[in-house]
Amino acid sequence: MEATLDSLALGFSVAFRPDVLLYAFIGCLVGTLVGMLPGIGPLAGISILLPITFGLDATKAIVMLAGIYYGSQYGGSTTSILMRIPGEAASVMTCIDGYAMAQKGRAGAALCIAAVGSFVAGTFGVIVLTVVAPPLAGFALRFGPPEYTALLVLGLVFLAYMSSTSLARTLLMASVGLLLGCIGIDVMTGHFRYSFDIKELGDGIGIVPVAVGLFGLGEILSTPSSTTRVRIAPPRLAELMPSREEWRQSAAPIARGSVLGFLVGIVPGSAHIISSFLSYALEKRISKTPEEFGKGAVAGVAGPESANNAASTGAFVPMLALGLPTGPVTAVLMAALLIHGVPPGPMLVSEHPQVFWGFIASMYVGNLMLLALNLPLVGLFVSVLRIPYAYLYPLIIMFCIIGVYEVNHSVVDVWIMLIMGVVGYGLRKFDFDPAPLVLGLVIAPTFELSLRQSLLMSSGDWTIFFNRPIAATLLAICGALLAASAISFLTRRDWRGKLAEAETGEER
Amino acid sequence: MNLRLDHVAGGVFIVAGALIFAASDDLPFGTLASPGAGMLPKLVMGLMMAFGLVLLLRAGASPRFAAVAWDDLPHALRVIGLAAAAAALYTTLGFLVTVSLLLFGLTFAVERKPVLHAAGFSIGVTGLAYLLFNTLLKSPLPRGVLGF
Repeated sequence: MEATLDSLALGFSVAFRPDVLLYAFIGCLVGTLVGMLPGIGPLAGISILLPITFGLDATKAIVMLAGIYYGSQYGGSTTSILMRIPGEAASVMTCIDGYAMAQKGRAGAALCIAAVGSFVAGTFGVIVLTVVAPPLAGFALRFGPPEYTALLVLGLVFLAYMSSTSLARTLLMASVGLLLGCIGIDVMTGHFRYSFDIKELGDGIGIVPVAVGLFGLGEILSTPSSTTRVRIAPPRLAELMPSREEWRQSAAPIARGSVLGFLVGIVPGSAHIISSFLSYALEKRISKTPEEFGKGAVAGVAGPESANNAASTGAFVPMLALGLPTGPVTAVLMAALLIHGVPPGPMLVSEHPQVFWGFIASMYVGNLMLLALNLPLVGLFVSVLRIPYAYLYPLIIMFCIIGVYEVNHSVVDVWIMLIMGVVGYGLRKFDFDPAPLVLGLVIAPTFELSLRQSLLMSSGDWTIFFNRPIAATLLAICGALLAASAISFLTRRDWRGKLAEAETGEER
Repeated sequence: MNLRLDHVAGGVFIVAGALIFAASDDLPFGTLASPGAGMLPKLVMGLMMAFGLVLLLRAGASPRFAAVAWDDLPHALRVIGLAAAAAALYTTLGFLVTVSLLLFGLTFAVERKPVLHAAGFSIGVTGLAYLLFNTLLKSPLPRGVLGF
């Protein structure tokens, strides 16, 4: 524990440097805007702004990009409460009771509870991250290629199990991502794979053009400007402070949302989205006045808002400690670290302590910044929403092109982004979630390398994955999850269905 | 038979898998003891086709294909067409000219904004972006044949 505190002190010495503080502030500010603006999620925001970090060192880059991620969770609540528009998918549940509170003239209280809940949950998440990540990284040093292969398979199966779409759809998308990840020169044999004589494809397909195309451009193509109308219910910010009764009603949901969100955040999947749905369902289930949900229940704002913030912090645990992305956002953050020559994983703590602890300490500071930003400046942020969409989306397309081009100064990347934008548009039409595709693309090189190394180590004996205790345990969990999915399918009782029922029950 | 969404989706992935499989002739699968460059792609392709088949078999539960709303398609085509033209001209005409034209095209031609508004917006935003990336962030943007 003493060593952890010493390391944290080192982290704070990095986080309090004026330049690092500045980039944390920029990240939080941009994240809040990204969270508020419908059509730009944290993934698109981070991907588009990734090239801006190329001139920075790894610490400042990751501090800024992570600030965008958890800042977007704060910002998403503003549009949900004031306009009933979820700026970000994780804020969907906040729309229900947050907007109802606003209609009752309690917009200020709802915003304050959402911001304080987000702050408490975010800080709780960082404290647990501080305690859990280093020992987990130490444990992961025991991992060899078979364990990594099993861990990545578990990541994909978990993602499919937790996904809001069907198991087959999610695994299909992950397969497409893995296939895209195979493009380029095979590092073990030197074969060119699917590069069709385009030399730029020799290094493979980048994560940035794929992510920006699928999530940035794809979203724009699916959103005709004529359907985007912004109506703002004027917030009564004079009543910003919640009443004593509202504080009392929000305390327990914030605590429960923090714990639940962090636990859900650790497992792969769109954790910050799922956690807010789960928290809402939990709060309604245990409430003594469930009939209040949908009509402005304080717990319906406090729980989900806390849960999505804790989940976004929890997602950093496997990323930092194991080098395992749990979703597309952490995948892009991992890519950002790799671009800066800092591979995330078990060696990060020992080889780059300044980056690791500086990043963690900056999250404590970032959560404070967000609390200070989100309450007094809410009126200013809301005015950004008045930019007509007809002017906003051309701006986003410009940033997409600049962002993607600047990674490698390659027009081929811009073309890949455009193709992925069309693919993203098509996937939305056919009800596919593109997130597993990005995850598959990110893990493909590590997965292939560890799979082939495992087989080489065992001279082709595939039982190596079952003879080693850690790998066998991870694969057993995979088997259990697949069996649980099969049972859900056969009995037609699935947690997604229950959540959907809970959600539609509220909206009726 | 009513054509369902997953009939089309499943079929597309199966056909795509088969086509990529055919294009993978030169990639050796290898053996378990010595995996080749084609092992993972072919395994993944097999999985992709299998999941496509699952969609196809369970397509009855998916919405009818005719029920999919395509009313946003014309807007999407105009946007992607202009973006593709910008990508094609980006390194030839350079950032300033290409992006100004792209923004003008999107606001004036696609969104039907008044010509002066569209022109002012396009030139102003392009100039600010150039200042931000090229000058402040020292991230060089492409220059065109005209030298800027």
